[in-house]
Amino acid sequence: MTVTEERPAAEVGHARRRKEDARLITGRTMWTDNITLPGMLHLAILRSPMAHARIATIDVGPARELPGVIAAFSGRDLAEDMASLPCAWPVTEDMVHPDHLPLAVDEVRHTGEAVAVVAARDRASALDGLEAIEVDYDELPVVLDMEAALADGADLVHADKGTNKSFTWVFDSAEAGSGGNVADALDGAEVKLSRRYVQQRLIPAYMEPRSVVVDPTGDVFTVWSATQIPHILRLMIAMTTGTPEHKVRVVAPDVGGGFGGKLQVTPEELIAFHVARRIGKPVKHTETRSESMQATHHGRDQIQFIDLTARRDGTVTGLNVRLLANMGAYLGLVTPGVPILGAFMYNAIYKIPAYRFECTGVFTNTAWTDAYRGAGRPEATYAIERIVDELAAELGLDPMEVRRKNWINHDEFPFTTVAGLTYDSGNYEAATDKATQLFGYDELRREQAARRESGDLVQLGIGISTYTEMCGLAPSRVLGALRYGAGGWESATVRVLPTGKVEVVTGTSPHGQGHETAWSQIVADQLGVPFEDVEVLHGDTRTSVRGLDTYGSRSLAVGGTALVKACQKVIKNAKRIAAHMLEASEDDLEFADGTWRVRGTPDAGKTIAECALAVFTSHDLPDGIEPNLDADATHDPENFSFPHGTHLCAAEVDTETGWVNIRKYAAVDDVGRVINPLIVEGQVHGGIAQGVAQALFEEAVYDESGNLMTGTFVDYTVPSAADLPAFDTDRTETPATGHPLGAKGVGEAGTIASTPAVVNAVVDALRPLGVNDVRMPCTPERVWQAIQEARR
Amino acid sequence: MDFLRPATLTDALAAKAEHPDAVPVAGGTDVLVELNFDRRRPPALLDLTGVAELAEWAPDGDVLRIGAGVPYSRIIGELGSRLPGLALASRTVGSPQIRNRGTVGGNLGSASPAGDAHPPLLASDAVVEVASIRGARQIPITEFFTGVKRNALAPDELITAFRVAPADGPQQFAKVGTRNAMVIAVCSFAIALHPSRCAVGTGVGSAAPTPRRAPAAEEFLAGELPWGSRRRLSDAVTRRFGELVASAAAPIDDVRGTADYRRHALSVMARRTLTWVWQEHCEGGWPACA
Ligand SMILES: Cc1cc2nc3c(=O)[nH]c(=O)nc-3n(C[C@H](O)[C@H](O)[C@H](O)COP(=O)(O)OP(=O)(O)OC[C@H]3O[C@@H](n4cnc5c(N)ncnc54)[C@H](O)[C@@H]3O)c2cc1C
Repeated sequence: MTVTEERPAAEVGHARRRKEDARLITGRTMWTDNITLPGMLHLAILRSPMAHARIATIDVGPARELPGVIAAFSGRDLAEDMASLPCAWPVTEDMVHPDHLPLAVDEVRHTGEAVAVVAARDRASALDGLEAIEVDYDELPVVLDMEAALADGADLVHADKGTNKSFTWVFDSAEAGSGGNVADALDGAEVKLSRRYVQQRLIPAYMEPRSVVVDPTGDVFTVWSATQIPHILRLMIAMTTGTPEHKVRVVAPDVGGGFGGKLQVTPEELIAFHVARRIGKPVKHTETRSESMQATHHGRDQIQFIDLTARRDGTVTGLNVRLLANMGAYLGLVTPGVPILGAFMYNAIYKIPAYRFECTGVFTNTAWTDAYRGAGRPEATYAIERIVDELAAELGLDPMEVRRKNWINHDEFPFTTVAGLTYDSGNYEAATDKATQLFGYDELRREQAARRESGDLVQLGIGISTYTEMCGLAPSRVLGALRYGAGGWESATVRVLPTGKVEVVTGTSPHGQGHETAWSQIVADQLGVPFEDVEVLHGDTRTSVRGLDTYGSRSLAVGGTALVKACQKVIKNAKRIAAHMLEASEDDLEFADGTWRVRGTPDAGKTIAECALAVFTSHDLPDGIEPNLDADATHDPENFSFPHGTHLCAAEVDTETGWVNIRKYAAVDDVGRVINPLIVEGQVHGGIAQGVAQALFEEAVYDESGNLMTGTFVDYTVPSAADLPAFDTDRTETPATGHPLGAKGVGEAGTIASTPAVVNAVVDALRPLGVNDVRMPCTPERVWQAIQEARR
Repeated sequence: MDFLRPATLTDALAAKAEHPDAVPVAGGTDVLVELNFDRRRPPALLDLTGVAELAEWAPDGDVLRIGAGVPYSRIIGELGSRLPGLALASRTVGSPQIRNRGTVGGNLGSASPAGDAHPPLLASDAVVEVASIRGARQIPITEFFTGVKRNALAPDELITAFRVAPADGPQQFAKVGTRNAMVIAVCSFAIALHPSRCAVGTGVGSAAPTPRRAPAAEEFLAGELPWGSRRRLSDAVTRRFGELVASAAAPIDDVRGTADYRRHALSVMARRTLTWVWQEHCEGGWPACA
C-alpha cells in the first residue's frame, strides 16, 4: 500500500501513518512501569505453586525482617479489607458465583494464584522478601477436565458450592420465536452431522506485561494501570473497596496491547490498592512475563458439540450446539458472558430455520478465563465454518457452493436471523467473488486435484471461512436483556479552543489501535480543520470523565458515532454565531469545508475557528447564547454492526512429517466505510496472525497436577513473521446503516475469520487420507496423529 | 555474585581453577536465561568474551580448529562451505540476535539433548578440546555428552575449541519443531557422507538423554551405498536406514512431542536427508573411495 502524506481532499479514507506510532514504537512514552513517584515502594507477589490446596499456615513475618522490606501481607492480613473481585455478567439468575479475593485467604485454586505480597524499597528486596515467606499447603484434589468435573461425585473446585457447574444458559429459537424447533429438524433430517470440536486454551500475549501504580497520598487515590478499561476499573475499585468513586482517579497511560487480556479488574490492581491504602505510600507492581502467563486470565477453552442437519441438496435445516466453557477457578469481569456472545454467531451468515444453543460454565483448577480477541465469536465461527465444510464433504459438494446455497443473499437485508439479531447489511456475494479471484480459487483446486491424483507426499488443502461477526458492543437494552451489569454506550467531547485548535476527549481507551489518528481524521473532515490541529485525549478518568472503554471492536462503531454527533453539535452551535457575524439569517447558511457561508455568496464565510474566537471574546454574541462552542455526545447504538468477509487459505501439508505450510492466504473483509486503510490493514494482518496462531501454534497446557507446562515463550509458541505467509488482502465496502460514517469495526475480524480458514485447509488437504478433523493447534505431531488414526 | 572477566586464556584457566563453581559465560544465551528464571545462583560468573583466543578459528593440519567462542553467525558466514552441516544447523538456531551471540562452545557447555550444533558435530567426528591449568585434553564428541545436560568437563576445565575436518562429502541437517524460528527442536538429525573412506556419519538430537550417533544405521548404509556409481537408492535402503536411525533413539514424551512422533519424524528426516546427500553425491564433485 502506498502511504502519502500530502493533504488529501478528505481525511476519511486516507492511509495516514499513525500519529501515535513514533512514541509507541520507540517506547519513549509513559508506560505504567516507567512511572516513579517519590517514596514509591515496589511490590512482589507470592504465587501458589499448587493448583488446589488449603493454606494451612502462612507466615510473612520473616520477610518483614529483611533489609529494604517495608511491609508484607498474606491474604489473612488483608482479609478484612478485601472484597471479591467483580463479575459483571451473571448470565443466569442462579449462576454459581464464588468469591474471588485478590489474595487467597484459606484456599488456592490454581497455580499462580496470589497468596502474599511484599512491599520493599526496590524490586530486588521485594523478590528476596518472597523467599522468606513460609507457606504450608495441604493439597486438595485437582479438577482439570471439564467433562469429569461435571460427573457425579467429582472432586470440587469450590467445595462449599457443591458443584463445579456455574450455570447453564439456553437459547432456543422455538422459544424465542425466531425460528423452529431443533428437535424436529434432528428427527426428520436427511443428513445429520455431529462433531466435537475443542477450542484450546490460549494466553493473551500482549507486548507490555500488566503493571499498576497506586498513589494514596493525595486527596484522591490515583491508580495508573496498563488496562483497557480505566472507566470500568474506577467504578469497580469504588464498588469493591468502599472508597467513594469521586476519590478514585484511574489513568491508563500508553498501554502496550491487550487483546482482551487487559479487559479485567485484576487481583494485582486490587492488591496494590489495598497495600497502598494500608501503608499510605505509593506502590508499583509490574509482572514478569512468566507471572503474566500464569496469572493473567486465559482465553477460549471450550468443548463444542455441534449437530448440523441438512437436506441432500445441501440446504441446512437445523443447528444444535452444546457447549462446555471452562471458567477456570473463578469468574472474571465478563467470564460467563464470553461463550454467551458466541450464541448469536453460530448461525453465522446462514439462513438456518431452527437453532438451539446450550452452554454450561464449568469450574476447574486452572487460571480463570475471560475475553480474548473475538471473545465467543471466534469459537462460534470456527465450529460453524468447520461443520459446513464437513457437510460439503459428506454430500460431495464444493464447500463454497454449500455456503452460497445457505447464506443470506444481498437482496435479503436487513435480515433477522434465527438467533434473533437483525443484520442491517451485508454483501457476501461481492466479498466472496473478490476473494476467490484474489486467491485464484479454481487454479488452486486444479493443483489440489493433480496432487491428489499423483499421490504427492505434500498435499494441498483449501480452507474457506465466510465469516460474520457482531461488533459495536453494544446496545444497552440488549446487554440488559443478557443480564450484563452495565450499558454499551460511548461518549465524546469536542472542544474548539480560541485559536481554532481542537481537543477531543473520547471515552474509548486505545492500547495500540490508533484512535488518536482515526479520531483526528474524522474531526478534521467534520469541522474542516487540519488533521494536525486535533488532539485526542483519553484514558484518564479526570479528563475523560465518561466512557466504557475499548473491547469488542466497539470504539469506532460506538465511540466514533458519539464523536460525529459531538462534531455536529459544534457545527450547529457555530451556526448561530456565524449567522450573527455574517449578519445573515441562519436559514441562508450552508456549511462546507469548515466554513459557514451565505448561500450564493461564496466569498463571505466564517470558519469554525472564527466562531471559536468570537465565543472566547464574547464581545458580540447573539442574545441568549452561552459563550462556548464545546459539545458532548453520548451514543447508545440501536443495533450491533456486522462486519463480514471471505478468507481463503491454501495449506501444503507434508503427510509424512505433518508439517503445515501456508502457501497462500487471501482475505477480503467488509468492515464498512474505512476511516484509515493503513490502520485497517494493520488490524487485519495482526488479526489473521492471531487466528493462525490458534490454528497452528499456540496452546496453554497444564500437566495432571495443574502446573502450567507452557509458561514461557519457549513452549507457548507465539508465531513470528517467519511463521506466517504474506497476506493478500482486499476489501468490499458495504456501509453499516446504523453508523453516521458507515463504519463497522475491524479489531477482531481477522482473528475470527482465520482460524477456521486454516484448519479447514489442513483438513481439506488430508481428506483423501480419511481425515476429517485435526485438533488445534495443528502442530506437525497432531497432523501426523490424525493421519495415523484415519489409517487405523 | 562475583563477576570475573579474564583477558587471556591463561587468566581464564587460572580463574576457573581458583573458582571451580564459577559459571563460564560465552554468549550468555543459555546462562542468562537460567539466571533470569532463578534456576541457578552461581557464586561467580566467568565472562569469557574478553578472551580473544576463544573467538578465533584456523586450519590446523587436516582439520579446522574452531574456538569455543566463535558465534553461529560467523560459522555460517565464514565456514559455511567447509562445514555445511554445522552451518545448516546454525542457521536454525534461535533468531539473528541469538546467532550473533550464541556459540558452539556454549551449546557444548549446556550439553542439552536439543542443542542444534551437536548432531552435525557427531556426524563429522568432531573432537572437543578442553583445558585447565593441569593441561589440555581432546575428547571425542561421542564421549563428550555424559547425561542430560551433563558433559565430560572437570570442574576446573574450560572448552577451548572443537576440531573437525572440513566436509569431504555432502552433509545435511533437518529439524522438526512447532514453528519456524525460535523453537526448540522436537527432534533433529544430521548426516555426513565421507565418500573418500566409504563411511557415513550421523547425529540424532532431542531424541535421547544425550545427542548420539546411530551406529547401526551408519554401518548399514556404508555397506549398502553404491559408492562408485550414480545409481538412485532403492526405497528399501532409504526406508531401512530411516528405521535404523529411529531405533537408535530413546525419546521421551514431553510437552513438545511424544516419543512415537519423535521416532517417526526421525525416520522421515533420515530418509529425506539421505536422499538429498546421495543426490548431491551423484551430481559429482566429491572424491570417491577406492
Ligand atoms: C531465544 C533463544 C533461542 C534459542 N534457540 C536455540 C536453538 O534454536 N537451538 C539451540 O541449540 N539452542 C538455542 N538456544 C540456546 C542457546 O542459544 C545455545 O545453546 C547457544 O549455543 C549457547 O551458547 P552461548 O555462547 O550463548 O552459551 P552460554 O549461555 O554463554 O553458556 C552455555 C553453557 O555453556 C557453558 N560454557 C560456555 N562457554 C564455555 C566454555 N568455553 N567452557 C566451558 N563451559 C562453557 C556455560 O557455563 C553454560 O553452562 C536458544 C536460546 C535462546 C535464548
